[in-house]
Amino acid sequence: MVEEQKEAKPKKRMTATQAAASIGPMVKEFITGALRARAEGKQKLAYTFIVCHHEEIFRAMDVVPLWTENFAGICGAKRDAERFLQRAESLGLSRSLCTYALCGIGFDQWREELGQMPPNAPWGGQARPDFMISTGQILCDPRSKWFQASQQFMPDVPIYNIDLPYPLFQRDRDHRDVLGYYHKYIVKQLRGLVAFLEEQTGKKMDDDRLAELVDLSDRTWNLIEETYSLRKAVPCPMGTGDAMNTMVPINFMMATQTAYDFFVNLKKELEEKIAKGEGEVQEEKYRLMWGGGLPSWFALTDFNYFNSKGASFPVETTYRMVAPLDAMDLPQTKDPIEHLAWRWLGFWTFWYDRAKKRPGSEPDVERLIHWIEEYKIDGIVMHEAFSCRTWHVGLIWQLHQLAKIYKPIPVFVMGKDGKKERIYRELPSLILESDIIDITSYSEEDTRNKIDAFIETLESNRLSRAA
Amino acid sequence: MTLATYFAGIDVGSTMTKAVIVNHGIVGSIVGPTGPEQRRLANKVMEAALKKASLPFQAITCVIATGYGRINVPFADKQVTEITCHAKGISHLFPEARTIVDVGGQDVKAIRIDAKGKTVDFVMNDKCAAGSGRFIEVIADTLGVSLDEVGDLSLKSKNPAKISNICTIWAQQEVAASLAQGILVSDLLAGVHHSLADRIGRMVSRLRVEEAIIVTGGGAKNKGLLRALSEQLGHEILVPEEPLITGALGAALLGKEMAEKARENNTPLKIKERILEQIEIL
Repeated sequence: MVEEQKEAKPKKRMTATQAAASIGPMVKEFITGALRARAEGKQKLAYTFIVCHHEEIFRAMDVVPLWTENFAGICGAKRDAERFLQRAESLGLSRSLCTYALCGIGFDQWREELGQMPPNAPWGGQARPDFMISTGQILCDPRSKWFQASQQFMPDVPIYNIDLPYPLFQRDRDHRDVLGYYHKYIVKQLRGLVAFLEEQTGKKMDDDRLAELVDLSDRTWNLIEETYSLRKAVPCPMGTGDAMNTMVPINFMMATQTAYDFFVNLKKELEEKIAKGEGEVQEEKYRLMWGGGLPSWFALTDFNYFNSKGASFPVETTYRMVAPLDAMDLPQTKDPIEHLAWRWLGFWTFWYDRAKKRPGSEPDVERLIHWIEEYKIDGIVMHEAFSCRTWHVGLIWQLHQLAKIYKPIPVFVMGKDGKKERIYRELPSLILESDIIDITSYSEEDTRNKIDAFIETLESNRLSRAA
Repeated sequence: MTLATYFAGIDVGSTMTKAVIVNHGIVGSIVGPTGPEQRRLANKVMEAALKKASLPFQAITCVIATGYGRINVPFADKQVTEITCHAKGISHLFPEARTIVDVGGQDVKAIRIDAKGKTVDFVMNDKCAAGSGRFIEVIADTLGVSLDEVGDLSLKSKNPAKISNICTIWAQQEVAASLAQGILVSDLLAGVHHSLADRIGRMVSRLRVEEAIIVTGGGAKNKGLLRALSEQLGHEILVPEEPLITGALGAALLGKEMAEKARENNTPLKIKERILEQIEIL
């Protein structure tokens, strides 16, 4: 087998908020809590994926979700993914596949081969599941194939797949025409999941409890929206670096009181910071949007580097997997499963109507434009992670479209006749290139060189504006 | 304090180190290989440039360092990225410039500038040698052709070979195999230039390309690559007389601009005590 070496320990990222700083122990508790649950044997454990609107069902059935992408991210953040990636490669899987999946498959194979956790597994390691819930989404094939690959090493662990499609954007069609069909299909998928969990756990779904948890989630959604909107303040009290921590309750802890309370506290903290005029950076010079791409979990200190140059990130498209429910106009229903399906469709079609109103726009581009305006953005940063197609395909196209249809920066230049001319310049953008957890794709020197050049471009714009 | 009139820019690139001294125009410039030793010996390059300009180091009002090795220049007053310096240097030489393509030894950059020479947007490829000058170096070595000959030789091609591999290492093997099959060196070189131009063109198209397009860096000395790139971009291309020094020139001009601004504002120029010496990395 391959040489198994740990990489150098990463530097700790400085957080702007207390709330973000409290996330580390919370994540550790997922991992160690799952290991305790495994040892006690009272609850069933399930491998699964984020952003599927099925957490309420899991929690109502007392099933412990094991977020496999989260564990891979932890390995990456601890710079301890390489040995699992290499193990997956030695099984014949290409490095160009999703590195979350490779890391998870490598880990599973190793754990199953040993009959115990691999040596020095991050935070004690990923517990063995009782079953796996894969969730095919429109482009993310690892969400179907990952668990099938892991099942080779755990043939006794069943897989249940739920399919969660949504209508794609078509400028000349109203998505509402077909929404009903999608809704029926998703409801059927989620009811299938309930039946599978009932079979696996030997318990009957408590519909009242499910309804309570769905209500708790909805309230958390609205609270997150209110909390994150506070970041519109100048200076911005919390940036994307912190949001890469606060994504944890959004994506891994929905339908829990802990998640709700977390955002109550974060909201209070941000309000206090705004009242005191405290920003993420001491002297905010540039406001940036993280416009797409999952972060390099091993290089989150890059956000501190941006901060050191006076750049703050008031908003990000990544992991903000909520939208204001009030603005969705969801059909009323007392059936919590039906509501989950409507919410799913409402979330993914949220920007469709607005995009149709602007010629040349698309939902993802429209979201960028709205947030550029609402959060007073000076530049966009994206990350192209080579191993993830799902979240990264189309990023450059989005920037192209944005440049074509939206030019927010007025500057004055000397015209041919020697007179000052007012022109509109598009927002500068920076595309970082690396991976989510594969550190071999990353160069701190090159990345920071690009950031330096980007900051100089922003400064040049700032001076033009001032002039 | 009497303001001296000389300003220096030093560009420590991955392959070459360049130094330029200016007052009203360029009074001295030098280009030398960076190399592992030279990276810590930026002082030697500066000494050579000063010698060429017949100036003592004390005559330099401000030194700006740029390039990947800019942090290894202890006698610089300020570090500025090569993006900003190329923009400054090129807009000085070509006021009509709007797009700059810098084909360096180990990376390629495309920069869009406005009428004032300010950077509007940029893209950089630093992840793969296949899009950089290194690609041509490797292929030239495989073909036993000197870098100086590569451009002219490729222009003799009547039937450019198709190089299908985009990875430098695989392309090197493909070229070696094609050579064994009897394909002409000129055709192979033309094919390599088309392949490189294709990669650069795709990267540049991330920006909205506007004329005038200026190509700098070592790649700008290769006529074959320039022709292929011009075809790929569908625009005429302009090249500075000495394309290697535009970053260092821009750095020197930025130093001059800083000094002039300080004088206009009647504020002292923030410069540090500098000694022209090598740095100790270890």
